[in-house]
Amino acid sequence: MLVLTRKIGESITIGPDIKIVVLEIKGRQVKLGIEAPAHVPVHRLEVFQKIQEENIRAAAAPTILDEVLKLDGEE
Amino acid sequence: MQIETTRFGKIEIEENKIIFFTSGILGFPEAKRYVLIPHRQNSPFFWLQAVDVPELAFVVVDPRLFFPDYAPKLPPEVLKELHLKEGDELCFLSIVTIPKEKPEEMTVNLLGPVVVNITRRLAKQVVLDAKRYPLRAPLKPHFYRLAQQAEKENASLALK
Repeated sequence: MLVLTRKIGESITIGPDIKIVVLEIKGRQVKLGIEAPAHVPVHRLEVFQKIQEENIRAAAAPTILDEVLKLDGEE
Repeated sequence: MQIETTRFGKIEIEENKIIFFTSGILGFPEAKRYVLIPHRQNSPFFWLQAVDVPELAFVVVDPRLFFPDYAPKLPPEVLKELHLKEGDELCFLSIVTIPKEKPEEMTVNLLGPVVVNITRRLAKQVVLDAKRYPLRAPLKPHFYRLAQQAEKENASLALK
């Protein structure tokens, strides 16, 4: 992993059109500003991972759903 | 055209009903083309079946049937990716997770909905704000109300 040290207000660039700037450092938190083209999705890693894991669980749905999905009041 | 599926065997689909994912469902980047298969007539549940991956299918619902207030704001880059033009019709599909051992504890993913531009049949899974939208909203408590509503108006997706 490439490790860079940056101060507040300093930036790094990734490729030709992604820029990340350190906006603020407060205690143990760092606030980052990210400029990236619209087609590059930027997410907090843990949210992204949670959704990915949930998708994998969801993809294991049983084939026979009739019993499971029976709505109350439906025969 | 005919497609191969693990759950439903060989099925016939109309090519113009295929939904193309501009970026795949998270965790399944290889599958870009899906079709919606109704679970049963008048059921709010649909299968989102991958066209090119026989074993890949998700149970989905229109989240607004269960959560009428669900109307997350979509970032402009999402609308751009879905080529949304004035007059295009958008809809949400939420993926349902059905735990194998306890299917009655099924939940719906409101944090990462699939957004579909129905007009252009383009879709993508969107990551929303984790502080506002739950990853696992229980579905069962809403069944009763939905069943009532379904009696009034034939609750079903616009996408069929």
